[in-house]
Amino acid sequence: MIAQIRAELLKVRSTRTTLGLVLGMIALILLFTLLTGLLSKITALSDVENQRDLLSLGSLAGIFSALAGALLVTSEFRFGTIRPTFLFTPRRSRVLAAKLVAGLLAGLAFGVIGEGIGFAIDYAILASRGISLVLSGGEVALLVGGTLAATALWAGIGVGFGAIVRNQVGAVIGLLAWGFIVDNLLFGLVPSVGRFTPTHAQDALIGLKSDHLLPPAAGGLVLVAWVVALAVIGLPLLARRDVN
Amino acid sequence: MSAVVRAESLSKRFGKLTAVDDLSFDLEAGTITGFLGPNGAGKTTTLRMLLGLAAPTSGRALVFERPYAQLERPALRVGAVLEATDFHPGRSGRDHLRTLSRAAELPDARADEVLRLVELHDAGGRRVKGYSLGMRQRLGLAAALLGDPELLILDEPANGLDPEGVRWLRDFLRAFAAQGRTVLVSSHVLAEVAQTVDQVLIVNRGRLVVESSLAQLTARVGGSVRVRTPDGARLREALEHAGLETSDGDEHVLLVHGATSERVGEIAFAAGVPVHELVTEGSSLEQIFLELTAGAASPGAQPPAGAQPPPEAQQ
Repeated sequence: MIAQIRAELLKVRSTRTTLGLVLGMIALILLFTLLTGLLSKITALSDVENQRDLLSLGSLAGIFSALAGALLVTSEFRFGTIRPTFLFTPRRSRVLAAKLVAGLLAGLAFGVIGEGIGFAIDYAILASRGISLVLSGGEVALLVGGTLAATALWAGIGVGFGAIVRNQVGAVIGLLAWGFIVDNLLFGLVPSVGRFTPTHAQDALIGLKSDHLLPPAAGGLVLVAWVVALAVIGLPLLARRDVN
Repeated sequence: MSAVVRAESLSKRFGKLTAVDDLSFDLEAGTITGFLGPNGAGKTTTLRMLLGLAAPTSGRALVFERPYAQLERPALRVGAVLEATDFHPGRSGRDHLRTLSRAAELPDARADEVLRLVELHDAGGRRVKGYSLGMRQRLGLAAALLGDPELLILDEPANGLDPEGVRWLRDFLRAFAAQGRTVLVSSHVLAEVAQTVDQVLIVNRGRLVVESSLAQLTARVGGSVRVRTPDGARLREALEHAGLETSDGDEHVLLVHGATSERVGEIAFAAGVPVHELVTEGSSLEQIFLELTAGAASPGAQPPAGAQPPPEAQQ
């Protein structure tokens, strides 16, 4: 199992795809933090919830982490490397488990980079504009720790989703539509259901205070449940389907 | 001796289509077997079942007396190449091999060893997208050799290789089998493997049509002899009198079937007919292969006579 995880981690590192996702993530986080941090009024940024929103922009890393996780599965089907992968490790459950672990580790790295850059810039902007941090130490810790955990778990969601969909374009479009459209629509229309979506479980986990969100710990558990549920659905599909 | 590869009443159906139909065979250690048949005959599907990538509808596919998926560290016993294109184009050849060697718990240095073995060492650091088809074929073979396996299974390995590459592969497989290891190599062109293999399995429409040694198959073809003479009519009479079948080239050239050149020469001598040329025609193995597999699996898949069939279009 360690062997398979090492193999999967090398797959993540040995193409430029991951680097592209990291650069895309950095660009998006920079764009949002700079726009929000520089264009908002000082009075607005002195408000505790607005500060929390600004400092939570590093959580945009989640969707990139999910894409990296999905590509860990779908690129194998796209390029046919799934054949040698299964020839070398015919126990497909072991392959999926290794991809999950490698994905979670890669996702954690996405979180460290994304949240690190986002938080550092936000903090610098607040300091340079003479705005004092009104969030408590515990709130900041929840924001940072929650973002790291959520970003890692998003990669797990991506791996499971990729195992179910297998088609690369389908998985990428599906994840983007899910993360950016479906979750928000559902939360807007039926918040009692929508708060269980990964996007809003993440918001809960990092301590955002919107109405209807779950408590932080429950948000974290819901994200874990999504990872487990998708893996449980994806595993028999991966194990039973013939590889052409 | 136990079979290295065994198919037991192996069948695979896709809906109404029967791709592999009650196929049974055994392969012994140290042999090179050609797995032959037209495109769509069920070769690739059979290999996928032997390698645990596809599940049989019925019957069993065994390597070293077990289903592939039950082998401990299978890469150390079986090496396989199914497609020449199974690489991420953006990954270097060396990294491709390392992802696999790590999964097989082999040291990274093994990747460099097999790169040297297939003469790709200089290209190992380059992205696969810059590789020629021949280089990709060799990289696939390198991956199959990572675990120093006892059995090699190759699907259409000669596709896309230039004549030099085909010769290299032939020598390589010969040396591999000489060490007591086993090779199963598929092809839709008998001539491609006729100089390499010891025995052939010929399939058509998912069924086994011939299982024989190459020597037996050649004997079954029987030679044909071309003879040039100024007196065709008299020679034909003499040959037919001796019970031999002839077909004409023109009035000076006869084609004699099922006889050796010695026999034809002796008959001509006995009949007092001068002979200007006496030639044993090159093996017509390909002809018998085409006869055995006449009526290919899918309508329209039969190549026109003499034409090179298209590469396997299966996904």
